[in-house]
Amino acid sequence: MAETTAATIDPVTVQVLRNKVASLVDEMHYHFYRSGYSTIIRESRDFSCVILDRRGRLIVPPPMFFHGIAYRTFVDSIFSLYREDEIEDGDVFVSNHPYQAGMPHVSDMGFVAPIFAQGTLVGFSASIAHKADIGGTNPGSTSANSTELYHEGLLLPPIKFHRAGELDEDLLRVILGNSRHPDLVRGDIHAQVAATNMGVERMKENAERFGADTVIAAFDAILNGAAEELRAAIAALPDGTSSAEGYMDDDGVERDKPVKFAVTITIEGDRAIFDYSDSGPQAKGPVNLRPAMVEACTFYCLVGALGPHDLHYNGGMGDVVELRFAPNTVTNASPPAPVSSYQKANLKLVDVILEAMAHFAPERAIAGSGSSGSLLISWQGGGREGHSTMQYEIFGSAYGGGKGHDGTSMTATHLSNLHVTPIEILESEFPCRITEFSFIPDSGGPGEYRGGVAFRRRYELLQDAMVVRRYERAKFPPTGMEGGKDGRASRFVSIGHNGDQTDLPAAGRFDMKAGEGFFLDKAGGGGYGDPQKRDPEAIRRDLKEGYVTPEGAKRDYGFEG
Amino acid sequence: MASDSRYRLGVDVGGTHTDLVLLDVDSGEIAVEKVSSTPANPALGVLNGVNNFIARGTAPGSIEFFSHGTTITTNALLQMRGARVGLMITKGYRAIQEVQTQARDGNPFDYFYEKPEPIAPQSMTREIAGRIGWEGAEIEPLDEDAVRIATRAFRDDGVTSIAVCYLFSYANTSHEDRTRAIVQEEFPEAHVSLSSEVLPRIREWPRLSTTLLNAYLGPVLVDYIADLNRGLDEGGVETQQRFLMQSNGGVMPFAAAVQGGKTVYTLFSGPAAGAQASAYLAGDDAMKGIVTLDMGGTSADIAFIEGGTPLEVTEVMLARRPLGVPALDMTTISAGGGSIAWVDKGGFLCVGPHSAGADPGPACYGKGGDEPAVTDADIVLGYLNPDYFLGGSQSLDVAASEKALREKVGDPLGMSIREAAAGIRRIVDLRMADEVKVFGAKRGVNPQEFTLLPFGGAGAVHAGSVADELGINRIFVPPRPGAFSALGLLCTDVVHDYVRSELRPMEQVTADHAEAVFSELEARGHAELAEEGLSDDGARFERELDMRYTGQGYELRVSLDGLGSGGLSADDMAGARDRFDDRHAQIHGHAAKDRSVEIVSYRVRLRVAVPKYAPRPVGDPVEAPAPADSVKGTRTVYFTADTGTETTLYERDRLPLGAFVDGPAIIEQFDSTIVVPDKWRASVDAYRNLILTRER
Repeated sequence: MAETTAATIDPVTVQVLRNKVASLVDEMHYHFYRSGYSTIIRESRDFSCVILDRRGRLIVPPPMFFHGIAYRTFVDSIFSLYREDEIEDGDVFVSNHPYQAGMPHVSDMGFVAPIFAQGTLVGFSASIAHKADIGGTNPGSTSANSTELYHEGLLLPPIKFHRAGELDEDLLRVILGNSRHPDLVRGDIHAQVAATNMGVERMKENAERFGADTVIAAFDAILNGAAEELRAAIAALPDGTSSAEGYMDDDGVERDKPVKFAVTITIEGDRAIFDYSDSGPQAKGPVNLRPAMVEACTFYCLVGALGPHDLHYNGGMGDVVELRFAPNTVTNASPPAPVSSYQKANLKLVDVILEAMAHFAPERAIAGSGSSGSLLISWQGGGREGHSTMQYEIFGSAYGGGKGHDGTSMTATHLSNLHVTPIEILESEFPCRITEFSFIPDSGGPGEYRGGVAFRRRYELLQDAMVVRRYERAKFPPTGMEGGKDGRASRFVSIGHNGDQTDLPAAGRFDMKAGEGFFLDKAGGGGYGDPQKRDPEAIRRDLKEGYVTPEGAKRDYGFEG
Repeated sequence: MASDSRYRLGVDVGGTHTDLVLLDVDSGEIAVEKVSSTPANPALGVLNGVNNFIARGTAPGSIEFFSHGTTITTNALLQMRGARVGLMITKGYRAIQEVQTQARDGNPFDYFYEKPEPIAPQSMTREIAGRIGWEGAEIEPLDEDAVRIATRAFRDDGVTSIAVCYLFSYANTSHEDRTRAIVQEEFPEAHVSLSSEVLPRIREWPRLSTTLLNAYLGPVLVDYIADLNRGLDEGGVETQQRFLMQSNGGVMPFAAAVQGGKTVYTLFSGPAAGAQASAYLAGDDAMKGIVTLDMGGTSADIAFIEGGTPLEVTEVMLARRPLGVPALDMTTISAGGGSIAWVDKGGFLCVGPHSAGADPGPACYGKGGDEPAVTDADIVLGYLNPDYFLGGSQSLDVAASEKALREKVGDPLGMSIREAAAGIRRIVDLRMADEVKVFGAKRGVNPQEFTLLPFGGAGAVHAGSVADELGINRIFVPPRPGAFSALGLLCTDVVHDYVRSELRPMEQVTADHAEAVFSELEARGHAELAEEGLSDDGARFERELDMRYTGQGYELRVSLDGLGSGGLSADDMAGARDRFDDRHAQIHGHAAKDRSVEIVSYRVRLRVAVPKYAPRPVGDPVEAPAPADSVKGTRTVYFTADTGTETTLYERDRLPLGAFVDGPAIIEQFDSTIVVPDKWRASVDAYRNLILTRER
């Protein structure tokens, strides 16, 4: 591929094209979620649409920016499997492979379509979206206790879904034939491919108008610009080394074995090295990460700590940072290690990286946050007539307190930014009743800056159900920083017919009967700084709003009113 | 109507200025006034403007119609100056208002994210036991004692406005109705906003948010309208035909506004007036569609009008808060005359989102601004006349523009001042055009055959470039772009919207049932008209269904226009289904005729005609080149950075009907400048509109 440098293109055209890509990504998202069928797409919005350069590098980040490296991995894989002359206008590649295409987990299906203009490959239009069911041992495919990749669903290595504009109907039949919810999957695939192709068409128009070479050069300039921004930000940091480590409760299978994440960050001039070699061995259960996910976490933390409003994240930043891994570790797993619960692993890793980053950027220091978890209910009594039998929800938690900031309560945190599903929608479509959606006083870790407060959600089942819960932070709650205390640990509690409560593991698969129920408590954010230094006004406000109880104020802050 | 009644008055209150348009009913002539807005006492500015007309000889008793658009409620929200609100929610659900959508709306990399300040924090929220199920059945009775205790506590705590939002209240309003009755017993002075009245729609957070906004801003609007009523009465403006603009492009009588239950319908009344004026005044030649471009100091508002009707949405965000009532569909981007150009750390030229505003304003204002703004670029390139800004009442400092452009953009990027200016303009113009394209694509609209209608101070300066970029061939510049929104207030009907959610598979809904739901909503409309003292004569009801494919999460509005006159039949329901498929295909590019469909909500729009401004031709246009006495001189204009073109300047007020000007040319008027690019012709039509057409 010919290399073009930024010097050959004027900054106005670069900015015009950057704006055009941003508008286009927005448009692709809009059409996808408004016309998607599954609640995962339409309510949670668990997907991304992007435009990539010829090497698969992200031009403008989508809301789920952490898919960025997965796309590059997918494109790398296409080039290793296909000769360039085998990639044609009108092709659409599909893959959900966590290792070969870097997809977050098997449920996430990626589509990648080349953009050809004036006889040249200009870049790719692509999308990744969570599918309602792609086979595997559990309904809904996502698993808290799989022990092999093969348990998590049908695996598609990068292959052609459309050949020169022609849909491979046989392949579609294979995919749908492996799904427990072929209707939802068909509808979502349809909407996803339409959004991906829309990106191809719009970018072709731009390339025809501005010239394919100009678009290619503009992409290079945009990517190089972001790399320069990051290099300058790193150069402004003090040289040195900082390490941190942290633990996840367990891997969902070996319940007595915490999972260790570790990082050593070295800053040398304008270079940053992130070494993950000390992380624990790859896990038996589905909490393993691959380098694409780890790289995404790394850039999230770098941009967040060094200047979220100054640095424009994109795929160009990849060249600025060196990542080091040891083989067969939880941050660099080998197939067929299972990966389904990757997000809670990502979010633990983010806490660990940010703890190490605090050494270099203390004004952006933040304590541990409450992670993200999902709830899947497969209704065994047929569900509610006319509606799906699969209920899937994703819950946020709370941020840790940070330098100068209380942690934000009851929100999606860090990489995760999905919508909660409305109670009125859930009860109208599924045979459940949500009998409580409240917050948990004293759940925010005490500190000069308090950790965010967590919520509780309680369910009553009106039919028999298989329930898959994927979460953690029950044994290792979000950590405090600089003298701040840990946040409240999470709980997952079943409620029997007679009202008996039983604590269940934070991750697992459970069969429940109609009339039974459960509640889930999210973990509160860790506190930052010595609680004794908290502004008494802030404590009074917390008491007034009910975020802290009088007993908690006395116990945690020595506050008597 | 009294025999001496002769005038209708439209008053549009903006953040800094209030525009007034006085229409002489007999002659069709229009007079305009511009006065300063008075945020501290908002009614005062309006009355000042009215008094200016009276001082010029208009008898206050001769004003027979008063129509008003205002940003007072929106400003109160932006400054958090609303009422003290107490909130009652279903017991056990305190997290709904905290979690909101759960997703963060800011920069995804900023973990110091904060939510908007709550309107009713937890300390002002009371939980009330009682539960309705999804089908509307009562699961647990309302705890009336708890309502009573909460009401007294609110009263003692200085609350003036109470919001009530219970789960599933849209399916069964009895608990909220009973709550209001108790509140009225205990605390009759309180404003009450029930979610089942404000927004009886499924999804608890948008309904709660909308109800809170109504509770917060209702008292502000009610007090304001009372002040205004008093001032108008005292000023001798006797007419009770007093109307307030709504976000949906219709007006409501003051009598409806003072009830306080419909405040949330008025929050976008200012921008809606401009879009309404565009829909009504752009003439039959624009029937294919209109793109409005209202480019002011800080932003550009864009709206679409198709077949004479502005497009609408049912969910909008206001200051980061969801608002679920119908509003004219608009998008806003930070591209105004005051938007600041800067070079980011990556070495890219950016424009906005920061704006120099009116103070200090662009560098050329000479008020101490040293950041180059879009207006500075327009000045340096010769589009604007530095000696004729606002009719010469303000002169602009070209040297200051050049200095700011050189220091902040040119030198850092190695560009000349003119290259920097041309770059800024290109970025802004293409961003506006891209926004039009994306916005249109989201709504299933292709604007290429549309007319572009610029207004606001900077609209016509940039409209030509935007049209070129979009492939639009026609631009419509109204006679007074500055007073266009105020004129829109005289161009609309009374409109009331009613909605009710009832989520059911369509095959389970009989035509009789649908008819009954619609009839109930229509009965409500009749009752409200009676309360407002408006006649039913000429009242028209428009029915719509919100529908979606089973499994989808977002609904499309489907008009039942032409279906079911004399009662809905099974055939009509099938017809509605077909329309839904067509609409889905139009918007999203695909439809699934074999897939089952759900009805989510029923909507009724009530429309009552009120007297409207009808533009009249001023004379017969005679097509001829612009006469010599309309030429003010020439100026070098840089349509491209490297080539200056000696360009003729015209005075708009001296162009007779039918006169045409071929581009490149500049036409100047008091409150705007119209750029006629190369290959475009501008001609004056019979109504003194300026029509720009591209030679194809």
